[in-house]
Amino acid sequence: MAFKIFVRLRLSLVENLPPSVSICGLIEPMDEPALIQSAQHGDLDSFNTLVLHYQDALFNTALRILGDDELAADATQEAFLSAFKNLTSYRGGSFKAWLLRTVTNACYDELRRQKRRPTTPLEPDTSDGDEMDSPRWLADSNLSPEQKAEADELEHAIQHCLENLPLEFRTVVVMADIQGLDYTEVAAAIRVPLGTIKSRLARARLRLRECLQDFWELLPAAFRLEKERL
Amino acid sequence: MTASFRDVELLSAYLDGQLDSNESARLESRLKSDESLRAVMDDLREARGILRQLPQRRAPRNFTLTPQMAGIKPPAPRAYPVFRLAAAVATLLFLITFVVNGLSPVAAPRLAAAPAPAFGMGGGGVGGSAPNESAPALQEPATQAPAQPFAQSMATAETPSAANDNSRVMTLAPKAAAPAPFSAAPAQVQPEAPVRNQEPVSTIWQIALGIVTLILGLTAWFLRSSSERKFRKQWNRK
Repeated sequence: MAFKIFVRLRLSLVENLPPSVSICGLIEPMDEPALIQSAQHGDLDSFNTLVLHYQDALFNTALRILGDDELAADATQEAFLSAFKNLTSYRGGSFKAWLLRTVTNACYDELRRQKRRPTTPLEPDTSDGDEMDSPRWLADSNLSPEQKAEADELEHAIQHCLENLPLEFRTVVVMADIQGLDYTEVAAAIRVPLGTIKSRLARARLRLRECLQDFWELLPAAFRLEKERL
Repeated sequence: MTASFRDVELLSAYLDGQLDSNESARLESRLKSDESLRAVMDDLREARGILRQLPQRRAPRNFTLTPQMAGIKPPAPRAYPVFRLAAAVATLLFLITFVVNGLSPVAAPRLAAAPAPAFGMGGGGVGGSAPNESAPALQEPATQAPAQPFAQSMATAETPSAANDNSRVMTLAPKAAAPAPFSAAPAQVQPEAPVRNQEPVSTIWQIALGIVTLILGLTAWFLRSSSERKFRKQWNRK
């Protein structure tokens, strides 16, 4: 049952992939250095090609850090705008890591704004005090209502645990485990030493594991599946 | 044996393949013998696995930038800077004509005041009590206030020498006084006519310059807006 849910989830993801990403997950050939170079000379078309390529990664990073779709979309847009304006400051290396730095900066700005002007959510809260969200993939017709509910619970539990992490741990774990950057890329993106990345990631994983332990009854299928896969 | 935080760090890095071969070998041998270490590694692996299973959401919309958002202006047509400069110069000239014409009536009395001493010398320079009264009367309409003290001073300066010619003054005085009613009228008209003639830029030229300015400005605006429209159309087609 749990296996089926994840197979369905992955299929639904594949169906929702942008045109630039092939089904097996490999990115279609794109001359990234050439696009970056022409974008640095002000070519907006080249930059927009890069935007289409990386927008999902940036949006997901912002979503996992902020935990809100609309705020994540705003932060993503702001990050791309800032990236275009400061493209000349890009001096090589992983472009994805460089873009992720702009989006994390936009997220930090947003969180600072929220601290200054706290707002009350309009949507109803769940029993554990978290705001209810409605993921887009809930509308996926391939999943039964029960499967959708389980998938929603899993995502909700993970998001809840991520939000309980300190911001600097959350950023590292999102970049390394969700976006799949290696340690050097994460270190370059958030400008901290490699040792700090290792330490933060280890702590973040431990804390997440502890937090997810509380959802054991809620998410037994997910945990069992993980153990089965290992 | 419980795992230290250093062990947790090593295990986490080991999972990601970030340890060198020596460190990895050492840790693997410890893992074989230490159950608690294995349990920690399982926990870390689970946490990492669950995070990796988190579905990647698709962006709710495209975040591509428009030229307006990026602050990119459409390229101006080649002729645009020429027309813009010409329009600016024409506008400046147009304004200068008003300034020059506006200043000319102020300068006119000064110009008119310049021959006043010569006029005063002829009329009021004769001295005596009678000419002293009649000379200002003649000059008043022509030169207004500034001419009067000058004429008076000239008259008083010349009184001693003029006193010797009393007879001539007496004969001249009626002549000077007599035409006063006739000479007063032209004296009032005379200063106005040169002011009108001295206007540096005529109204016709001003109107012509205004029209030229307007045409140049409109042409520049049209060139710019048409290129902007073309740029926007091209962008929307993409």
